[in-house]
Amino acid sequence: MMEVEETNFDELYEVYACMQCGKCTGSCAVSLRSDFNIRELMRIAILGNNEDVKEHEEIWDCTSCGICTVRCPRDLKPSEVIVGLRSILVEEGEVPSTIRDALESIGNNNNPWGRPKSKRADWMKDLDVEVKNLSEGDEAEYLLYIGCTASYDTRIQKVSRAAVHVLTKLGVDFGVLGEEEPCCGSEARMMGESGLFEMLVEDNMNLFKDFGISKIITLSPHAYNTFTTDYKDYKKRLEEEGIEIPNLELDVKHYTQFLAELIEEGRLTSDMMNEFNKTVVYHDPCYLGKRNNIFKPPRKVLSIIPGINLVEFERREDRSLCCEGAGGRMWSEGTGTGERNAVIRVRDANTLNAEIITVACPFCLSTLEDGRSTAGYEESMEVKDIFEILDEVLK
Amino acid sequence: MDIIVSVRKVPDTAEADVMVEKSGKDIEKSRLTFTINEWDNYAVEEAIQLKEKYGGTVTVITVGPKDVEDILRRSLAMGADKAIRVDMEDPEDAYTLANILSAVIKNQKFDLVLFGAQSGDFNRGVTGVLVARMLGITHAAMVNGIEVLDGSIKASRELEGGLNEVYDIKLPALFTIQTGINEPRYVSISGIRKARKKPLEVLTPSDLGIGSIEPMVRLDKMYLPPPGKLAEFIGGSTEEAAAKLASILKGKGVL
Repeated sequence: MMEVEETNFDELYEVYACMQCGKCTGSCAVSLRSDFNIRELMRIAILGNNEDVKEHEEIWDCTSCGICTVRCPRDLKPSEVIVGLRSILVEEGEVPSTIRDALESIGNNNNPWGRPKSKRADWMKDLDVEVKNLSEGDEAEYLLYIGCTASYDTRIQKVSRAAVHVLTKLGVDFGVLGEEEPCCGSEARMMGESGLFEMLVEDNMNLFKDFGISKIITLSPHAYNTFTTDYKDYKKRLEEEGIEIPNLELDVKHYTQFLAELIEEGRLTSDMMNEFNKTVVYHDPCYLGKRNNIFKPPRKVLSIIPGINLVEFERREDRSLCCEGAGGRMWSEGTGTGERNAVIRVRDANTLNAEIITVACPFCLSTLEDGRSTAGYEESMEVKDIFEILDEVLK
Repeated sequence: MDIIVSVRKVPDTAEADVMVEKSGKDIEKSRLTFTINEWDNYAVEEAIQLKEKYGGTVTVITVGPKDVEDILRRSLAMGADKAIRVDMEDPEDAYTLANILSAVIKNQKFDLVLFGAQSGDFNRGVTGVLVARMLGITHAAMVNGIEVLDGSIKASRELEGGLNEVYDIKLPALFTIQTGINEPRYVSISGIRKARKKPLEVLTPSDLGIGSIEPMVRLDKMYLPPPGKLAEFIGGSTEEAAAKLASILKGKGVL
C-alpha cells in the first residue's frame, strides 16, 4: 500500500529531475481558463510541502489529459504527480463533496454515477437483437466492455446499442456482462483513490477469470487505457504485497482498433455501407491519442465510409484540445472561468463547416454535446460516436 | 468530551426498485446495496469534529450480525477510537433495539450520545429518543447545529416550516442528528484497511444481561401502495374552483 502521508514524490515520480522549465504549464489545457498551474504543483511535490496541496482547490481542475507528460523534456510524468497529490487529499478525506460522492458510489454501487447496480443493464432494454451475456453462462470470443457512463447515461446508452448493432451486423462473436459488469476504476485512480483502484483491479481480474474472459473490446478509451497500462502496474504492485492476482493475459482493444483490423482483414468494407454525404470532423480523445498514440484507426474507419467528407481540426492528434471530461471532471465543475474547451472545440468545428463532430469516447460525447448547446449549434451540428455513424451507414 | 454514536446499516433504496419479498414481511434485498444510514454518517462526522476540536473519545456502536461490521470499520477510519457490535439480528422493533443500545451505553463513559435523526429503511425516528428516556438523560431531536459551551451544549433543532429552535442543554445528553449539520469526509479504502488495527468489541445479549424483550411493535404485512385512481386538478378562479369542488363533493354524497 502506498503510504501517501509520507509520500516522497521523488521516489515515486523522480520529481527532482524537474527543472521547472514550465513547458507543462504552457501546454496545459485547463491553465487556459483556470488558476491551475502544474509547474507550481510540481514545485510543491519537489519540496515535499504536502500540506500546501490543501490550499489548491484547483488541483481538481486537471482533466488528466496527459499533455504535460507528453511534452515534458525530462520525460517526467506531471499528470501522475497530480494523481499522487490528489491522493494526499483523498487519504485525509478532504475532497469536494461531489468527488466524495462519486468515489463512494464506485465503492458501493460499482459506478461513479450514484446509480444502483441493478440498473446497469437498462441500456439493453430497447435492443432489438439478442446479445450474449457472459455472466450468465454464454460463451463468446470477445467481451464488449460498455463502461459506467455508457451504461447509465441515457444519451450515451445509444452508443452502446449502436455498438451491439454494428458488431452483430459484422458477425463478431461477442458478449456483454450486463448487471455484472464492473467499474474499470480509471476515474477512481485519476481522482487519487489508489486503494479503491487496487480493490477494483483485484476484483475485476478475478471476475474476468471466472467468466473466462481474455479478449476485450472497450467503448471507452479510459477503460482501454486502464486495462492495458494501469492494471499491469497494479497487478505487479499487489503481488508484491502478497495478494494473488489471476495470471491472465488480457488482450484489450479500443473498438476503433478492432474495427480497423476488420478492415485489414476485409471483413469491413465500403461495399457494406450506404452513402453518407456529410462533412465530419473527428475529435481525438486524450486517452486514445495523447496517452496511447492511437491516431490512425479511428480515421481509417471513417475514411472508408462512402461519400463522407472528412475534415480535420487544426489542433489534432497529440495536439488535440482536451474536452475537459476526464480526471474526475465529470464530478467536479472546476474553478475555471470563461469559455469551456468544449465550446472552443465546437466553434472550431463550425469554422470547418462540419455537420458532425465524431468522437470515440463517452466523456467527449457528453462534453461536446453540452458545448454544442452552449454555442447554439443545435440546429446545424451533431455530435456522434463513430459507432453511431457506422450503425447508420451499414446496410 | 467522550461521545458515543449509534450507527446502522441500511439498504440504499434511493434509486433502486424496491420489491416486497414473498413472505410479505420484508423487501427483496439480494440486489440492493447496503451502506451506513445517511443520518448516522452525519452523526459520526459531528462526533469526530467535536473530538478534533475539544479532545476526548468517540465510540461507535451497532446491533447486528458480523456483516454489519464494515460500517463500524468505516467509522473507525473516519476517526472513531473504538467500536462495539452486539451480535444478534437487528431487531425490527425500535423498543427492543433501544433496550439493547441503552444496555451497551450505560456501561460506557460518555458525555454525549449521538444518533441519526432517523434511518433510511423504516424512517421511524424514535430509537434515539427511546434510548434517552431509558438512560434518563436529556435529549434533543433533529439537531442541525452544535455549539459547545462550558458543561453544556447549545443545540439548534430544525422544526417544520423552516423554523429553528435553540436550546442550552446540560451534559450528559443525547441528540438525534439531522443531515446537513456538517459535510461528512471521504473515507478512503486504504484508510478503512488501516483502521482494522483499531479495537472492535463484540458483545452478546447475555453479556449485557438482556433476556427476551417483548417487542412493542410487530410487523404484520408489507406491501407496495396500490396505484391511486386518476387525480383531477380543478382549475379556474378561486370562486369557480370552489363551486366545482362543492358540486363534485355533493355528487359523491359527501356534502
